[in-house]
Amino acid sequence: MRKRRWHFWILVALMAALMTLFKVPMASSQGTTLVAVQVAGDLPIEDLDSPAWQQATAVEVPLSAQTVTKPMNLETRVKSVTARALHDGSRLAVLIEWLDDTRNDQTIRVQDFRDSVALQFPLVDGQPFFCMGMQGGNVDIWHWKADWQADIAAWQDMETVYPDMDVDQYPFASGELPAPSDYQDVNYVPALASGNLFASPRLSPVEDIVAGGFGSLTAESVEGQSVQGYGEWADGKWRVIFSRDLTANDPDDASFTAGKVYSMAFAAWDGANGERNGEKSTSQWVSLQLQGSAGAPAASVQAERPAAPGFPVQTISYILYGAALLLIIIGAIIYFRLPE
Amino acid sequence: MSSERTFLRLLVWAALADWLITRSLARMAIFMPKSPPVLAAYQVIVTAGQYASVLCALLGLIGVGWLAWRARQKSGAAPAVALAVLCILSLASLLASPDGWLVLITQILLLAITGWLGGIISRNVTGAVNKAALLLPVLAIGAGSLYHAYQALFNVMAWPGPSPLAPILFNFGELLAVLSPAGLWWVYGRQSAVTRPWHIYLLALLPAGLFLAARLASPSMAGILAIWSTGLTLYLPSIMYAASLILGTVTLLASHRQGKAAGWALVLLASAGYAPQLSSQMFLALLALSWLAGLWAGEQALPLHAQDGAGAGWIKASLHKIRTRTAL
Repeated sequence: MRKRRWHFWILVALMAALMTLFKVPMASSQGTTLVAVQVAGDLPIEDLDSPAWQQATAVEVPLSAQTVTKPMNLETRVKSVTARALHDGSRLAVLIEWLDDTRNDQTIRVQDFRDSVALQFPLVDGQPFFCMGMQGGNVDIWHWKADWQADIAAWQDMETVYPDMDVDQYPFASGELPAPSDYQDVNYVPALASGNLFASPRLSPVEDIVAGGFGSLTAESVEGQSVQGYGEWADGKWRVIFSRDLTANDPDDASFTAGKVYSMAFAAWDGANGERNGEKSTSQWVSLQLQGSAGAPAASVQAERPAAPGFPVQTISYILYGAALLLIIIGAIIYFRLPE
Repeated sequence: MSSERTFLRLLVWAALADWLITRSLARMAIFMPKSPPVLAAYQVIVTAGQYASVLCALLGLIGVGWLAWRARQKSGAAPAVALAVLCILSLASLLASPDGWLVLITQILLLAITGWLGGIISRNVTGAVNKAALLLPVLAIGAGSLYHAYQALFNVMAWPGPSPLAPILFNFGELLAVLSPAGLWWVYGRQSAVTRPWHIYLLALLPAGLFLAARLASPSMAGILAIWSTGLTLYLPSIMYAASLILGTVTLLASHRQGKAAGWALVLLASAGYAPQLSSQMFLALLALSWLAGLWAGEQALPLHAQDGAGAGWIKASLHKIRTRTAL
């Protein structure tokens, strides 16, 4: 009997080895899930006080200092963000709130840094490294910037912080202190002429970026910028809305379908604390679940595209592993009940 | 060695490897230089950790199934069904991502089973102090579970949230988790019949000293590692965590020296961590409590009835000494 017991434990150890080899998970996570509630009518993409937001359950996501790569700041100030999400079947909107004593929406002087917040979605199956993805595991990043938001209200430049400044002249442009858009010939603003997003007129306070590990952050083209945003600071709190179509044609943009669960991560920067680039607070992956029936066409764009015939390889392999597990357990029971 | 004893030993070692390798050592890599030898070493460590995690999850599932069988024999159908449903829900969650209802039902089941185990533990000891001390880990697990259930309830009911009491509940649970080793020490470690107990206390200063040094040298790094490794946020004064480490280590070493199981149950509790999110960690917590409840054949944590009222007796003796001195 003792020999049989050892056979059983060796069998369990071998099963664990096989499961490790074939990456079959044996533990499920019941972590933080942000549910995007499906609402009828237009999404409140610029209305922070809309009652529609009350339909979505807010989730508090803890953040901690990014400590994986330099530059890092171990004493970042944003400790958590509160997130809500809505969708209307064709568009997703996410409202992020976090506490911040100071409003930092200028980066004109070298000593100034902006407040900002970012959402991140994997562009591959599974969860790549939570901090800007990894090689072979790209991530789509939506980065809202307080200074870009302020630029939309009123373009900020050196004269904003130094109102008494004087310049001799800016040739080829109208106005005494021209903005890039004031140039009659765009070739005199090479960054703008070459399609540099940073020199282009601000259409959205959100930069749509793709990354595949540290040092690989790449802004999508001006035409590829598909995320809208709106943010306001009041009473020591930032509230920012991100919105975008659920489906995307660009492979560098994440697509979403109602009824499915996705991974997302958050990052936030407090400009008053000198936080910029890698000096930020980040979250682990949390789940984003889009309410609604799975498989239903989520957006008109998706309806135009022929649906790829999806073969549920993963589900079938899980069922096979489950059946194998059941057979082994039944076999073990029969084995132990047999006479010596 | 009985099957149950073999199983529990295997489970403890797998849980320890999962906790220390996957959730602690592998995550420490973020603070290390990424030279090729370090990367190669970490690939080996991560693979070993993954194996330990899968083995631990598999053993946890078998253990809870086994516990359901034993619960049916000892306490009737209700806890056995609850444990069996918990196993099934855990397996179902591997196929379909757990949504609000699934999480809520799982956490309610977990709360009910924790309460049932707490009842058995409480019945096994006499003396209010002993009961209170042993119920600390039960309450800590219950608070963590209630925290998850509370948040899931907001999602299910589509309430706006964020749940206002959640941070308070989480912090209260963390306080109970930190006090739990002290509770186990009170019952199992304080009056252990080991020779030269000061050796044990001296040894127990090591992990506490290491923790305090790390906390003082780099508070953020220590905080991040603590939350990744144990789920504790370190919001309480550091000295409380250090004291908890000392008493936990003393209990572990004293139990080990006496060949008692309480220390191993403590290892399982530590491996489970506070307010765990993984089903395997939840199972570890339940199995640790069932161990303390004496539900495993030949694996009583300690002959509890032999210690009945030990705490109360100690208090009475101290009061008697004080009265005698005052009278003199």
